[in-house]
Amino acid sequence: MRKAEFLALLALVIEAEPGSLKGEERLDSLEGWDSLAVVGFLALVDEKLGITPTPKDIAAANTVNDLVALFGDIIA
Amino acid sequence: MINPMQLEGRVILVTGASSGIGRDTAILLSQMGARLVLVARDTYRLEETKSSLEGSDHIGISKDLCEVDDFSYWLKILAGDVGPFHGLVHCAGKVLTAPLRLSKDEDIDGLFHINIKAAILLVKAFRQRDVYAPGSSIVLLSSIGGLTGQPGLTLYSATKGALNAFCRSCAIEFARDGIRVNCVAPGHITTEMTDGLQKQLTTDQLATIERLHPLGIGHVRDVAMAVAFLLADTGRWITGTTLVVDGGYTAQ
Repeated sequence: MRKAEFLALLALVIEAEPGSLKGEERLDSLEGWDSLAVVGFLALVDEKLGITPTPKDIAAANTVNDLVALFGDIIA
Repeated sequence: MINPMQLEGRVILVTGASSGIGRDTAILLSQMGARLVLVARDTYRLEETKSSLEGSDHIGISKDLCEVDDFSYWLKILAGDVGPFHGLVHCAGKVLTAPLRLSKDEDIDGLFHINIKAAILLVKAFRQRDVYAPGSSIVLLSSIGGLTGQPGLTLYSATKGALNAFCRSCAIEFARDGIRVNCVAPGHITTEMTDGLQKQLTTDQLATIERLHPLGIGHVRDVAMAVAFLLADTGRWITGTTLVVDGGYTAQ
């Protein structure tokens, strides 16, 4: 999956404007990033990428780019 | 000494029998003397469950309930082979944890198909003459999700709420046939089905769930015991109810 697609997916989860996420954003600054969004994010990446990061991994991520990094080479 | 929960000579159909509550219910019912017809999708795990049962006359049927063309014909043929059923336990089901805004049409269809449509078609098929024995009991696996609100479980809760309502009207309609219909609504217990949910929650969130169950997180056997109680003569005067088995979750 391309990074732009991943960002679009995340934007869908947090109900942000499509194309508004760049990667450097801090997760705690994103209005829609709450516990329910995390649950939805995990369900969605499991479906789309077949990978489910642990909630602990998610909690350790500070920025959107940190989330991207959790998926390694899968996101180019 | 009497044992009002003995099930000697009774034939009981259990769906979702290859894992979790379905598997443990099947094991318990076999220990109480019942002859079981097990239904599940996974052939290997179904055989595993079958080999865990007490007694040797049980039957395993590998089948996806979402792909059954004609439930009525299927149960009629089955009852012709094994004799009329004294009980039906519908444990097969799915859970989906996600905010409603992310749910898709196929999520709604998929969840309602197995959790409610398959249950309705099974119960309808069970009600046919020669399929059920006098004094039969139907137990449908519901959830506290059908009684209380929980974020991320909207679709699942909708299916379980529908099941509770279906059970009540069925109980009244089937009373004249001598068939009892009840639901069992478990709180949070650890099963293969809830493993997925647990993977989506943080340690803090899991601790909160545990704290909300005054008696702690439940085990499959806690639920299996309630199912057995409703199937056996202990439940003879109980119909149309949703038996909550939740360690005190909904008492608060």
